[in-house]
Amino acid sequence: MAPEAAPLLVAESLAKGFGSGDARVEVFRGVSLTVAGGDLLAITGPSGSGKSTLLHLFAGLETPDAGRVVLDGVDWAVLAPAPRAAVRGASVGFVFQFHHLLPELTAEENVALPLFLAGRKEEDGRREAREVLDRVGLLGRATAFPRTLSGGERQRVAIARAVVRRPRLLLCDEPTGSLDATHAARVFELLAEVAKERAGAAIVVTHDPEWARRCATIKLLGEEGLSDVI
Amino acid sequence: MISFFLAKRYLLASRRDAQVGVVALAAFLGLALGVAALVVSLALLAGFQTHVRSRLLAETPHLLVTPAGRDAFHDVDRIGTKLAAVPGVVSVSPIVRGRVWVSMGRDAAPAEIVGREKTKGLVLDVLQARPLGIVPGETVTLVSSRSRLSPLGPVPIVSTLKVTGLAPSATGRRAAEASLPLDEARRLFALGPDGATGYEVFLKDPSRAEAGAAAVIAALGPSVTLTTWEEQNRALVLALRLERFVLFAAVFLIVIVAGLNLAATSAVLAATRARDAAVLSVLGASPKTVEKVFRTAGGCVGMAGTLAGVILGAAVAVLLEKFGLVPLPAQLYGMSHAPFHVDPLDVCAVATLSILWAFVVASVPARTAARQPAVEALRGA
Repeated sequence: MAPEAAPLLVAESLAKGFGSGDARVEVFRGVSLTVAGGDLLAITGPSGSGKSTLLHLFAGLETPDAGRVVLDGVDWAVLAPAPRAAVRGASVGFVFQFHHLLPELTAEENVALPLFLAGRKEEDGRREAREVLDRVGLLGRATAFPRTLSGGERQRVAIARAVVRRPRLLLCDEPTGSLDATHAARVFELLAEVAKERAGAAIVVTHDPEWARRCATIKLLGEEGLSDVI
Repeated sequence: MISFFLAKRYLLASRRDAQVGVVALAAFLGLALGVAALVVSLALLAGFQTHVRSRLLAETPHLLVTPAGRDAFHDVDRIGTKLAAVPGVVSVSPIVRGRVWVSMGRDAAPAEIVGREKTKGLVLDVLQARPLGIVPGETVTLVSSRSRLSPLGPVPIVSTLKVTGLAPSATGRRAAEASLPLDEARRLFALGPDGATGYEVFLKDPSRAEAGAAAVIAALGPSVTLTTWEEQNRALVLALRLERFVLFAAVFLIVIVAGLNLAATSAVLAATRARDAAVLSVLGASPKTVEKVFRTAGGCVGMAGTLAGVILGAAVAVLLEKFGLVPLPAQLYGMSHAPFHVDPLDVCAVATLSILWAFVVASVPARTAARQPAVEALRGA
């Protein structure tokens, strides 16, 4: 019998709150989750339940008040800022709710940015960026600046940027808000494809029931942690 | 290179971003003017110093060869021939140097005097002539410090000569010096026709005086002592160097103050791009990389300001020199206009220090921006 593969992401008893004293707000506690390679997981929950914060914890952008997050066998807590950034760049692709493209860069340059940061040559980075833009149907807009793109186009550029380094873990924060049904389906296929490469996984925070249904697992985030949605 | 790539985009975009654009323009202009002021000041000083140095080199022998431990040379032609054969030597002249009393009427004063082959008649330094009220054409008596034997015992050697001219005080020389024909000096100081107290040697390249001195020692052996033109004018040479350093330090203060504007540029840029810094961090940029982006942006403004300042300063200095736009009273300064000489080494030193300072100043706000937690900037977006 083949040995079971190590989980890609392990979150143990996470708790997070903001503020101090009487103004302290506990967002969630006791959040535990294990994600294996190939998993496609949707997280839903009411506004303010801490879905974005949970993704930040998974990406090592924030530190939990309690518990720990282990990505591919490495605990975020033991990493100094520089190696933490290097691990995040290589292993995590993040899609923001509001795309957060750099306005001074073209669509192609925005997508190539993670490759440039990884030290890829400009020519190679641009070529790879154009390939991914083609996959999201935006090759014709490669030289456009974000201010000239529609909301949907911006979001597809942001998704292309998140997948261009073929990360093992894709974290998507409400990625469908600006997408029409056709593009949403196309983008979902891309995310699923990238997640499967390198035995990766994707966690999608969404309010969109259609997207949630497409995922193999749906979890609901509440104050007391994650629960399965049947 | 990602830092330069992003910094360039931010700066180009600042043309549309009034907040960053105004601060960057102020920093650019301040630094450009400061650097230009420094280049012009140093060009003026270098011009004056070049003038002083050329006068010094014309009046002072590049090497002074004197006997070591003896009063005088007694075979001038043989030694002179050896000296003339040393590589780099252009001319060699024997001299006789000593001290005399210059007497006129009832007044007398001590004076340094030197005999040279080409000197016609007695020429006094104006500083020697003035106290005694001597004017050209008058006859004076020179009383040597050497004596000769007479039936009455030793008596000083005396010479009566007509003053043929007065010479302006030499540049940088400590003691005023009279000159007279070599043969007359030999008689005053009881030296034979082959005698000399030293040689004045002029070199093809005075800046290689030390090497020339070593070559002379190699040719004549340890029986001679060498003094270079810089050693003869040590106080003046040191003063010129000190003047250069002090002026550089004083005017560089302008560059330092102007450079502080770059801190504001870097800070404003970092504040307006906090969200971008957070996105870079999420995409895998280390805090050092984020810091480098904003430091490079500030540094690039500094480099552009420095380059503009160097071009402006050098152009102003060249024009002032070419058209003599700063007139001077020629009788006082020995030149009709202020001389400007743009020394490439000075320009390189100014540019290097200014650019280094720009990067140092820009790095402080850049480091602060890089340490901001990414999620705070993203939440605030």
